[in-house]
Amino acid sequence: MRRVTSLVGLTTLWLGAATGGATAQTSQELFQTRCTVCHTIGGGKLVGPDLQGVAERRSEDWIIRFVQHSQQLVQSGDPDAVALFEEFNGIPMPDQSLSEREIRGIIDYIVGGSSTAPAEPPPIEQATAEQILLGQALFQGKTRFANSGPTCNSCHDVINDAVIGGGVLARELTTVFSRLGGPGVRAILGSPPFPVMQRAYRDKPLTDDEVVALVGFLQQADAEQPLHQPRDYGMGLLGAGVVGTVLLLGLYSLMWRGRLRGSVNQSIYDRQITSI
Amino acid sequence: MTGRLKMDVRSQISMVFHLDKCIGCHTCSIACKNIWTDRKGAEYMWWNNVETKPGTGYPGKWEDQKIYKGGWVKKNGDGIELKGAGKPKSLTNIFHNPHMPVIDDYYEPFTYKYLDLIESPAGDDQPTARPISMITGEPMDIKMGPNWDDDLSGSPDYARKDPNLESLSPAERDAMFQLERMAFFYLPRICNHCLNPACVASCPSAAIYKRGEDGIVLINQSVCRGWRMCVTACPYKKTYYNWSTGKSEKCILCYPRLEAGHAPACMHSCVGRIRYLGVLLYDADRIESAASADEADVLRRQMDMILDPFDPEVIASAKSNGIADSTIDAAQSSPVYKFVKVWNLALPLHPEFRTLPMLFYVPPLLPVMASVTTVDNREQSEKMNPIAKQWPDSWLYDTSTKELFGTIDEARFPLRYMANLFSAGDTTEIGDRLKKLMAVRLHRRKETVGDIPEETVKQALADTGLTPQLADDIYYLTSLAKFNDRFVIPAAHREQAIEMMEFTGDVKGNTGFGFKAGTAVRGS
Repeated sequence: MRRVTSLVGLTTLWLGAATGGATAQTSQELFQTRCTVCHTIGGGKLVGPDLQGVAERRSEDWIIRFVQHSQQLVQSGDPDAVALFEEFNGIPMPDQSLSEREIRGIIDYIVGGSSTAPAEPPPIEQATAEQILLGQALFQGKTRFANSGPTCNSCHDVINDAVIGGGVLARELTTVFSRLGGPGVRAILGSPPFPVMQRAYRDKPLTDDEVVALVGFLQQADAEQPLHQPRDYGMGLLGAGVVGTVLLLGLYSLMWRGRLRGSVNQSIYDRQITSI
Repeated sequence: MTGRLKMDVRSQISMVFHLDKCIGCHTCSIACKNIWTDRKGAEYMWWNNVETKPGTGYPGKWEDQKIYKGGWVKKNGDGIELKGAGKPKSLTNIFHNPHMPVIDDYYEPFTYKYLDLIESPAGDDQPTARPISMITGEPMDIKMGPNWDDDLSGSPDYARKDPNLESLSPAERDAMFQLERMAFFYLPRICNHCLNPACVASCPSAAIYKRGEDGIVLINQSVCRGWRMCVTACPYKKTYYNWSTGKSEKCILCYPRLEAGHAPACMHSCVGRIRYLGVLLYDADRIESAASADEADVLRRQMDMILDPFDPEVIASAKSNGIADSTIDAAQSSPVYKFVKVWNLALPLHPEFRTLPMLFYVPPLLPVMASVTTVDNREQSEKMNPIAKQWPDSWLYDTSTKELFGTIDEARFPLRYMANLFSAGDTTEIGDRLKKLMAVRLHRRKETVGDIPEETVKQALADTGLTPQLADDIYYLTSLAKFNDRFVIPAAHREQAIEMMEFTGDVKGNTGFGFKAGTAVRGS
């Protein structure tokens, strides 16, 4: 009995410590991990807007709704949300699985942090040639993702001579780098805003190295885009198919020219009167 | 027999069909159909069928290997190869075998909507039972049946398209089909359970095998993958593809019946009692040389392979090969051995296909009673009314020949035709057998009717190497034989086979009245 009591006591103590002292630290950490890939505090626009003074520009409720379900807000026709969405090239902000309390904590952190030095986004590594090659292999699935996530080209395509054609289920990514910029691509890969992609990578996130490699590859594909124009065969392809089919059929009929055709009783059947 | 290398003696359940006795009633076919092929996908199959000769048979023109590419052919060098199958040919044609008979070569199986006769509502017309296809279930026009050429000797569609007529001169062919000379006989066919089966050799899945103990050729239904190479390879077209199960099937010689000591259903039911079944011992070492011999030699070499079951050396060799004493006994009293080897009366069908078929036929001695003589009909014709139909012929169909049975050389069918069927074109082989049959008839005619001079009979017997005793033996087995004379079935020794597979003590004492579990346990 005494042992049980002491166990309960210990657990209560630990829980109290974990919830009590953690809040401030967690808000900062949350901001660092969840927000800084796209946002700064006083550092200017990245993928999303500068968050300095956001608490004065928007109501707290609005911020919470936007952070949790930005697209719902956009679709409901909220003028502020629509304006934001359009301003940032139609890149939706990923829905964050944060509780209201946590969001409030982050707002508090932004308000508090704005007086100190603005949070810098982590320095962007420039991909090396090796990493670009790795990115190419990862994109095509020649190298598997470390966490077994699905290969990019099962849904996406990139016009590049180095890779085979990809899927057409999602957007074509040749110019994604110039459309969204390095941080944008990086943000999407790190925490996908699209429901299907989110779902696909939920338990199989990409590692940082893989993100760097893929971004490097996409940057190169974008830059080399004018050099890589696949030839358009047009009707020539269909024509070649027709000619090939005719040739093959001719070859087959030559190979099997001695085959049995019809029934040996055909002459008998031909003279029979049919009623049907 | 001394000095010969050790033989590889094996036993074969073999058959003789006496064609003179076949009345073409198709009872055998129906017995087989009722037991084995009355199933979905097997409706068109007739493991046993009866054909009219001359005729095209079932499937149409099955003997024409220019069409169906069955059987073996001699290679340029040594040995033989399959005509239409074999490893390279099978591999390159595995998804499309170009020499397959189609359903219309057999016939589209049909039945009638009999229920319409009793369930139709009242109307102005009598209800009819429409024919429906047993493949599609749709109403159909019946175009062909499995014995559509029945009794149609002389018909342009069937008899005149018989592939065996090919080497006959046009005059010989016409002579066969002259109105009063026209004849036909029946040819019942089942799987020949060959010694060199082309179906076994052709199977890409190795699903077909020849049973060691009795030589029955079987298709393992759980191994067959339906490539249908056997359908092409069998020159007798006796393997069939079941479109419902996707496997091939063939005559199993009613092995479940044989193992229980019963004659196969087709033989048991035979109305004319034309069928004989018994064991033959043969030397398996000689299969290759027999099958690859020159065409003129194939028949003789096949006959040479069949061994004398009374020879002590053969018996010793058979025993060392594990052949049971009961099987050797059966071989010694085998009616097939008598017909094939002792009396030299029976011949295999189309030995030139080189599969060494083990079903032998006693060739038919067609009635040769009538002859055609030239007469002057003018006097007769002048008496007739001017509008009467007159034939300008000057011959007479004469049934009053001096020699009651005529001679073999004047038989209604040219010997060459019979030789094409039974002796790879060798007319002396078939002629010898027909003469023997004739001699036996003359002998019995003398015995029973007594209107033939004894000298004639003596001469006939001497010419064919028979004695009155032998002739009587042949007569007995041909006409008087009882069930047990016609079917000498060796014991299958299933009890031994079972003991090889499982420990019979496991179930001893576990069934029946008052059984107790665990009374017989292995090792206790």
